[in-house]
Amino acid sequence: MSLVRTLGKNPRCDLYLDLAQMISGILLVGFLWTHMLFVAVILLGPATYDSFARFLDDYYLSYIGIPFIGLVALVHVITVCRRIPSRYQELWEHAKLVRHTDTWTWLFQLVTALGIVILVMIHVWSVLTGWPIEAVKSTERMTSFWWFYIALLLLGEYHAGFGLYRIFVKWGWIKRKTIGWVTKTITIIIVGLGLAALWAFLQLGGAV
Amino acid sequence: MMNHHVHVTDVLVIGAGLAGERAAIEASLAGLDVTVLSLVPPRRSHSTAAQGGMQASLGNCAMGQGDNPDIHFEDTVKGSDWGCDQDVARLFCETAPIAVRQMAHWGVPWSRVVAGKRKLPSGKVIEEPAENEGLITARDFGGTAKWRTCYTADGTGHTLQYTMDSVVIKLGITVHDRMEAISLIHDGEKCLGAVARCLRTGNLVAYVAKSTVIATGGYGRLYTASTNAVINEGTGMSIALDTGLVPLGNMEAVQFHPTGLVPVWILITEGARGDGGYLLDKNLHRFMPDYEPKKKELASRDVVSRRMIQHIRKGYGVDSPYGPHLWLDIRHLGAKHINTNLREIANICRNFRGIDPVKELIPVRPTQHYSMGGVRTNIDGKVYGLKNLFALGEAACWDLHGFNRLGGNSLAETIVSGMIVGRKVAEHTQGVTLEYSGKLIQDNLAQQEERINNLIRGKNGKENPYKLRNEMGQVLMDYVGIFRNEQGLKTAVAKLQELHARAQKIGLQTDGRGPSPELSQALRVPGMIRLALCIAYGALQRKESRGSHAREDYPKRDDVNWLKRTLAYWPEGAELPKLDYEPVKITELPPGDRGYGESSASSTQDQPAGGGNNG
Amino acid sequence: MANRQLTFNIFRYNPTNPKDKPHMQTYQLQETEGMTIFVALNMIREEQDPSLMFDFVCRAAICGSCGMLINGKPRLACRTLTKDLPPEITLLPLPVFKLIGDLSVDTGTWFRHISLKTEAWIHTDKEFDPRAQEERMDNKTAYDIYEAERCIECGCCIAGCLTANLRPEFLGAAGLNRVARFMVDPRDKRSAKDYFEVIGSDEGTFGCYGLMACEDNCPMELPLQQQLAFVRRKMAWAGLKR
Repeated sequence: MSLVRTLGKNPRCDLYLDLAQMISGILLVGFLWTHMLFVAVILLGPATYDSFARFLDDYYLSYIGIPFIGLVALVHVITVCRRIPSRYQELWEHAKLVRHTDTWTWLFQLVTALGIVILVMIHVWSVLTGWPIEAVKSTERMTSFWWFYIALLLLGEYHAGFGLYRIFVKWGWIKRKTIGWVTKTITIIIVGLGLAALWAFLQLGGAV
Repeated sequence: MMNHHVHVTDVLVIGAGLAGERAAIEASLAGLDVTVLSLVPPRRSHSTAAQGGMQASLGNCAMGQGDNPDIHFEDTVKGSDWGCDQDVARLFCETAPIAVRQMAHWGVPWSRVVAGKRKLPSGKVIEEPAENEGLITARDFGGTAKWRTCYTADGTGHTLQYTMDSVVIKLGITVHDRMEAISLIHDGEKCLGAVARCLRTGNLVAYVAKSTVIATGGYGRLYTASTNAVINEGTGMSIALDTGLVPLGNMEAVQFHPTGLVPVWILITEGARGDGGYLLDKNLHRFMPDYEPKKKELASRDVVSRRMIQHIRKGYGVDSPYGPHLWLDIRHLGAKHINTNLREIANICRNFRGIDPVKELIPVRPTQHYSMGGVRTNIDGKVYGLKNLFALGEAACWDLHGFNRLGGNSLAETIVSGMIVGRKVAEHTQGVTLEYSGKLIQDNLAQQEERINNLIRGKNGKENPYKLRNEMGQVLMDYVGIFRNEQGLKTAVAKLQELHARAQKIGLQTDGRGPSPELSQALRVPGMIRLALCIAYGALQRKESRGSHAREDYPKRDDVNWLKRTLAYWPEGAELPKLDYEPVKITELPPGDRGYGESSASSTQDQPAGGGNNG
Repeated sequence: MANRQLTFNIFRYNPTNPKDKPHMQTYQLQETEGMTIFVALNMIREEQDPSLMFDFVCRAAICGSCGMLINGKPRLACRTLTKDLPPEITLLPLPVFKLIGDLSVDTGTWFRHISLKTEAWIHTDKEFDPRAQEERMDNKTAYDIYEAERCIECGCCIAGCLTANLRPEFLGAAGLNRVARFMVDPRDKRSAKDYFEVIGSDEGTFGCYGLMACEDNCPMELPLQQQLAFVRRKMAWAGLKR
């Protein structure tokens, strides 16, 4: 280790970064899954959806929640970036050379992360510019950009599902095989819920 | 001539298995500068393959109670068929318990006594004493009166080697791995080190030392079918023999392990039988009790191996494309026992043969396993014939094992002799001043360089080293195996002499550049054939049966004429070894009945190749 | 399956020859009953190409010398049966480790460095007393130590590990498992704090991405995920406690 690193480095720095990555990751997964549950409220009808959105609004939950999640996402992106080597082609070479499933799923997580960053920015911008959230506006967005939302749903859930799996694998609270099944099952349910919500919006689009 | 690196040290240890490393530790603790050479990284040494265990008379477990060095001594001498040096055996048995405890202190996770009753596979119920809970336990091994073999689950050699190497690393001992000693440097009177070839670059290096220690292990790979690692080609014995001054002791004493896995010849450890495994024939009949009613499958290795071959010769072998074999049955030990205590065996069967020993029988046949013979030393490990030269472990004939080694005594020997010889090396080295002529070193280097250049250029011919090695292996298998006779041994000597002549004409097919594997083989093969000749010629001359040396034409042990040790020298330019003999020292236990085997009163008299009772 | 004609694509490069360049070379071989990569490589060397470099020692999956990439997977060549592979077999040396030549790599130096770095030996103030009875140990503890000690340092976990490929100083599963071995050993007197100084960083326990190629490729089937997680939890706790 070089002198500068020896002198300058907090010995617990790597631990804190690792914990920050894990905690921000868990929070984001939690947010994503709640978010999908909230969106799925549309299955109970547009009126319920609107009143639910208003409820969140009235109690300022959205005003606290959205910036907070934005901050968490920022922490997550920063802490994760340290995992990406400057010579990123090495990742590709390694994955090609050593045939290993989990290595490929991780590489895909990296790709989905990039996709998510771009798509989420568009999504957040379009939601915020059309504030407040109402079934009519949501339906409009969904019917016009259903392919965008399918992509975001799949990318997001893939990233979240495997991310959570990896956290559990690294900390070892639950057996690897078990946690694999659990995260996969939850991911499938959430994706199903998301698709159902989308379907509901599309139905509304036809009806409204 | 190229410029070669010269490395000066106090103690040069050739070989980094358990014996070499233990001796190196002892010398290092005495404050000496130690350099260890090894063909492979130390943790890859063949010592790691010893799964079974290490004998020491701790007497902690129920079936070992009342054990002491005296009983261990008696077992060892009987096992050796009175061929061992009894002073050495006594010293060894007294030191073994200390060695086991010291290894525990250094980190070996020995299996421990768990108090309470348990049922043995034989149905017998034993109770482990509560007062010994947590002490080092032991398992049963062939040829022992008590359960004495200390072990760590299924990886005793592995844990011993890793622990030993951790101490070597801790002490900062210099280890040059992938470095092969190809000749000893000496002035006709004392040894001054060795010339080595780097197996990374192909460069020659001269190691100059006050004391040189040979700890290179056995020569198992001379035989085509051997349980040994592929690096066990007897290189250390070979370079000692090539001095022309150093004798090899009892080279005809070759141990065959009863249970090599057919046809890859990987060892199925004695632990399998110690834990209650049976040997079955083609009718699935358990035949060992017919021959050895007392010890059954757990007679000493030489006896079990011979009984198996005897039984096969009677037509009870199971036919296979690899020749007839017998079955090892451990199914009745149960899946749990097999998958924990005998996991290595289970893995070997599954990975190398595709069979599951929990449900299926294991095909086995006696396979070359151990060389009791080696570089002859005195009780201090000092080699005969050259000063400042020591040897220990399987490479040496310290003479703990005589004509047959007991299972669990080889691991114990590596460590115990490492302690004892290591200390003697240290004491000796502290009294030596290094004096050598630079010219001697340069001449030795130049000689080896010329030898290599001749091989590369094919100056003397174009013989293929691999072919010669394979032919030699087959000669030994065919004529110098478990049962031997005059005619076969004469044929073997003649064929080996012819191979030896051809070995002078080896020429490489490749350019031999860098760490060329072909050059490595070409450098070793002539010496390997000389070792093979020492074995075959020694066996031809020894007109008796003793331990693992079983002559069909001389089936009895002959204590009147042959209670002596063979010493084989190889004078420069000779075509055969020059044999000499020395008496075997009997201090405590005069020759008698082993209690098992063909000549024992307790065995059955149905003996096609056996003799009567030697009494 | 026997009697197949096998095609071996083998990586060739002799670094001691300045004219040589890394390339793949093809060999044909008739498959035999029970053939392993060990058998096949020796046949190629003895009958077709005596210059071919590779490492075997015990040929019984005990010593860990013969790790190589077999059709992309880090495995022990000695215990890989050809019958479990397609007729075209590609052999590459293990990545990460320094190449000696062809399929031979220097795992020994790498592992010795790891041992030195983690001080992988028992740390104790106690002197050995040759006259005393051994210290007692619970058999379960002995077995737990052995479970971690079983690693044969073949390097398959390192070769398959993304972090180890990207970060030269990363200890890898073998290194962290080695540390776990001493953590569970009551004879070793080092505290969690002592260990944290050595492995409480991205070069140690926190460098793991959790891809588990180590566990998936381990020929000894060591429970590496559990071992790595055990070390990570212990180190996180030690790091947070102060």
